[in-house]
Amino acid sequence: MYMLQATNVYKRFQRLEVLKGISIQVGKGEVIAIIGPSGSGKSTFLRCLNRLETIDSGRIEIEGQIMVKNGADGKAVYSPEAEVVKMRRKMGMVFQDFNLFPHKSVLENLMMAPMLVNNTDAAEAEKTARTLLDKVGLAFKADNYPFELSGGQQQRVAIARALAMNPDIMCFDEPTSALDPEFTGEVLNVMKDLAMERMTMLVVTHEIGFAREVAHRVIFMDEGLIVEQGNAEAVLLDPQQERTKAFLSKVLMAR
Amino acid sequence: MEYVLSLLPAMLEGTGVTLKLFFMTLAMSLPIGVVMALARITKFKPLNIFMQLYIWLFRGTPLLLQLFFIYYGLAQVGIKFDRFTAAIIAFVLNYSAYLAEIYRSGIQSIDRGQYEAADVLGLTRLQTMTRIILPQMFKRVLPPISNEVINLVKDTALIYVIGISELLRVTKTSAVRDFSFMPWIVAAVFYLVMTGVVQQFFKWLETRFDYYR
Repeated sequence: MYMLQATNVYKRFQRLEVLKGISIQVGKGEVIAIIGPSGSGKSTFLRCLNRLETIDSGRIEIEGQIMVKNGADGKAVYSPEAEVVKMRRKMGMVFQDFNLFPHKSVLENLMMAPMLVNNTDAAEAEKTARTLLDKVGLAFKADNYPFELSGGQQQRVAIARALAMNPDIMCFDEPTSALDPEFTGEVLNVMKDLAMERMTMLVVTHEIGFAREVAHRVIFMDEGLIVEQGNAEAVLLDPQQERTKAFLSKVLMAR
Repeated sequence: MEYVLSLLPAMLEGTGVTLKLFFMTLAMSLPIGVVMALARITKFKPLNIFMQLYIWLFRGTPLLLQLFFIYYGLAQVGIKFDRFTAAIIAFVLNYSAYLAEIYRSGIQSIDRGQYEAADVLGLTRLQTMTRIILPQMFKRVLPPISNEVINLVKDTALIYVIGISELLRVTKTSAVRDFSFMPWIVAAVFYLVMTGVVQQFFKWLETRFDYYR
């Protein structure tokens, strides 16, 4: 059984077709890096997987359960809300610009969802939160507010906050793109640690180095399609498609 | 000086009426405004359109007209309120409309990412509103709200037109009777003290919310 399976996903915003039939299968413990030029639809695709965006047609299954599939007319039909909500809980999400709750302390940011959504009691939630903060190296910031943290620290808190809900799959939407270069390393390291623990991960990223080092599989997207995919070394070092080559040479040139 | 002291009992009594209207209006319109703001941004069209019309009506006509209408106008079709009740109704209806628009702008200024973060963590819409959006909104709207509250202090003077003895009416009575300008000055000081207190209170409130950005 796949942790996540998407088949023929289509999505358009008004007249702009963003996803033109995307399919992937994600196995347990697999780390997948999705790369591609901006506007290629990679972020949109990630957002479709946990229904931050709804799809127009296609099928998405989370751990064997159908979140959305095509109806008789070929248009996407979502499963009942209660089931979708349960499936989404298996997925954690980390955003480009962190989206921490600014009016809550770091600790409260981590405790909030477990207490409100899972009815975890405060003592238990705090214990988990402190363990996770320790894991991302920020135990000493527990009582600070997000604005008092650097971008890298905020993003590590955001990762810990997602982990507090104990997800099976972690989605990262350009997690280092909003960071000053000096802070990307600390975030990538936390993500590396997660990968080592066999967390299933989907990472939309511009960090080719990270993709090469950590990802089991790299997917190159352009213009709403998967152009090329395969193991990281193969796609990144020996791309077969012209568009992949062009993109990689541009990205690598820039460093 | 003695003359000023002789004015005080009546003026303090008038101030009592003024403050009563002030606090009762706030106590009702501050929370009602939140509900109206949420109704104003709901995707449920009929409610949304109703709120837009309501806000247009109450911001688009003079408060004085609303006072006259509720006290004199409605009386003619048999709906009678005592003076003070009529004043409260007009003020709450009017101020709620203004506050609703302030709250709405505050709610809509919150980054979309906050909703998305709450959403992926599994919070319900209600939890997202009450735990994430509204608390941040209150901080942002404090400056425009303090404007409204200061306006309210001064707007209370309007109710003299339906014959309520609030501060300004008492002042006018004394000034005309005694042919003196002193009551006007005393009244001005009274208003300045009240608005001064409001101003300081909001300043304090804003520092209370300084712990986050």
